[in-house]
Amino acid sequence: MHAYIGAKIYPVDGPPIDDGVILVEDGKIAGIGGDLPIPDGVEVVDLSGKVIIPGLVDAHSHAGMWGDGEGEASQDGNERPGPITADVDAIDSVNPHHTSFASCREGGVTTVQIHPGSGNAIGGLCFAAKTAGEVVDDMVLKAPTGLKGALGENPKRGAGKDSPKTRMGTAALIRDYFARAREYGRKRDEGKSPDPDRGLENVLRVLEGEIPFRVHAHRSDDIVTAVRLCEELGIAYNIEHCTDGYLIAGFLGERGIAAHVGPGLSSRGKVETANRHEGNAAILAAAGVKVCLVTDHPFLDARYLMAYGGVAQKYGLSFEDTLRALTICPAESIGVDDRVGSLSQGKDADFLVLAGEPFSFKSPVLATFIEGVEVYTRPTL
Amino acid sequence: MLAVINARLHPVSSSPGRGGLLIREGKILEAGDIRVPEDTPTIDARERIVTPGIIEAHCHAGLSEEGIGWEGNDGNERSDPITPHVRAIDGANPEDKAFRFFREAGITASQLTPGSANIIGGEQLVAKSRETVFIDEMIVLRPSGMKAALGENPKRVYGPKKSPATRMGNAAVMRKWLDRALAYADKKDAGDSPDFDMILESLIPVVRGDLPLRIHCHRADDISTALRLAEEFSLRFSLEHVTQGHLVADTLAERDVFCAVGPSMVHEAKVEMRGNGFENAAKMVRAGVRFCLTNDHPVVHGRNLPAAAGLLQAAGVPAAQALKSITLAAAEHIGLGDRMGSLDVGKDADVVIWSGDPLDARSFADVTIIDGEIAHCRGGDSGC
Repeated sequence: MHAYIGAKIYPVDGPPIDDGVILVEDGKIAGIGGDLPIPDGVEVVDLSGKVIIPGLVDAHSHAGMWGDGEGEASQDGNERPGPITADVDAIDSVNPHHTSFASCREGGVTTVQIHPGSGNAIGGLCFAAKTAGEVVDDMVLKAPTGLKGALGENPKRGAGKDSPKTRMGTAALIRDYFARAREYGRKRDEGKSPDPDRGLENVLRVLEGEIPFRVHAHRSDDIVTAVRLCEELGIAYNIEHCTDGYLIAGFLGERGIAAHVGPGLSSRGKVETANRHEGNAAILAAAGVKVCLVTDHPFLDARYLMAYGGVAQKYGLSFEDTLRALTICPAESIGVDDRVGSLSQGKDADFLVLAGEPFSFKSPVLATFIEGVEVYTRPTL
Repeated sequence: MLAVINARLHPVSSSPGRGGLLIREGKILEAGDIRVPEDTPTIDARERIVTPGIIEAHCHAGLSEEGIGWEGNDGNERSDPITPHVRAIDGANPEDKAFRFFREAGITASQLTPGSANIIGGEQLVAKSRETVFIDEMIVLRPSGMKAALGENPKRVYGPKKSPATRMGNAAVMRKWLDRALAYADKKDAGDSPDFDMILESLIPVVRGDLPLRIHCHRADDISTALRLAEEFSLRFSLEHVTQGHLVADTLAERDVFCAVGPSMVHEAKVEMRGNGFENAAKMVRAGVRFCLTNDHPVVHGRNLPAAAGLLQAAGVPAAQALKSITLAAAEHIGLGDRMGSLDVGKDADVVIWSGDPLDARSFADVTIIDGEIAHCRGGDSGC
């Protein structure tokens, strides 16, 4: 057992603790508090003057899947040709030895939800993983965590000569495929054993409520189309990117939707991101949307997720909401909040030691712990 | 006239201190201990930090417009790998939203540059982030350089069926045209009248060493090739991106090469950007490389340049040097160190009043002054 003492702790699911104690045993938090007796024989680590927060949870990442300085050879995010590749699983594209995981650890990101790309109307299965390990299967926290969908520019751009050519085409393809999946399920339930089809099976998992549909949508009309489709189909869902969300904040807020807002610090590279607004996260949160700040790594290097938090805060997201948007909110959205996202007894010992208060470049991550193991130590400069 | 009083001045060229600025006709008339004439419009900085305007030394604003799609992409004339005759002035749209965001973020000037698809990409310029529909009204210096590129981009765009298809092809194409331009320039100087050739005309100032060739290079071997070519042709030049410059830092320092380093905030997007990060820049600084920081807007939005300098500081570079890397060092890089980049008497009155530490991502540019005029005022109690 280890005891980390002396730091100011932001547990996220409770008020900050000055001069707090975290007890860690077998990768779990065995105790946390301000005035906690330290059992005999425990290895004590003094972190006086430091700050502890939960490990960050990045709900939209492509870590290990593309980028990583390897060019074409490592572009494994979009299974083309599309537009429906519901049968693929992100786990089969992820290389744990890619540098992106080192970036995650350095930036304090301890849990990621890894998505297939947004080139296809239905892109494949997402899963949640810890960011340290040798074999991806050992890093998995939960799989699958959702089915990726995409609206807007990307699917119609990637389609070549085939459908979808338009936004209505993309919506029609998704509707049609879900209808086929429902039919497939009906046959199966009637004992008629349809020809096996993994893609339809994965969509059935969404229709049957096992996993949500996670829909890439930037522009407000695309976001509304996502809501229309998902409400029509009666499925659980969330919005990825949600760039225009602030324009329809009331519409989203009254539905209590989760929005994975990001990538942070980026530009308006596409028409569908033309309205990008730094205050988006704050406006959405005020309207009641469950806001998660995401890197969409490699589009924002996972190392700089905290800096994105700083910018979101600068434009009106409260300190507490910013911290939640990087920890417990994404943990809930991914469905792994029983394990990560806050610091309380019984949860995984995933936490960060910061040099000072969060969200300043003056408070870099000094150490990242995953399940009690120090997986990143800031080098001496 | 305009006065800024009660400031914590960070002049960059000298140590921080308390004082003010007196501005007349777009220039800094007095700095530090100033005497404000009666009836001078005055901004009370109320002890906030005041710095020179931030400068983005390598920027595609106006050329890669925000939120427009292909219609707003005018950065790469991909018709041929040698296009020195195209000019940023003819591609840059002053109505690109980027310039408004620059004003709001304290970015007062930027070098607008063609992209890196071509071996020689076109003529660059330096623009102030003024609000206008005429690019001409923004220009401080034109041309400020000639864009060139080595490494992946040209060979990806033109290969494998056309040259350049390899890195050695990149260098050969560059040599061929610099040779031709030299011969052309020599003929003209000798009084011969060679047939007019716009491409070769455009390269004369480059081969004569009057106009810097600004060479895109990420990987250490591409940096070496750039140095080799520059030496062969006795070019004035600078290096752009220099992602792996830390591997050849001593050479860069020894030869006093101008390096615009970045974008460091993105993950290693390409093979040639392997190992990208602020640690590399910090190593270059420690080795004494002449250095400024760039976000390569819009690869990382130029508005985040102060935050990038913050991350440079987090990587171990002293605060003063981090600030210099986006002000005076950037001004020197683009050839305007005598006009911009510090709060010295006689320089352009490009000034920013900050709500907090300028390099903290959470700080605002409360007031941005460009050429002595208030270009952005955050309102509220920002003081203008």
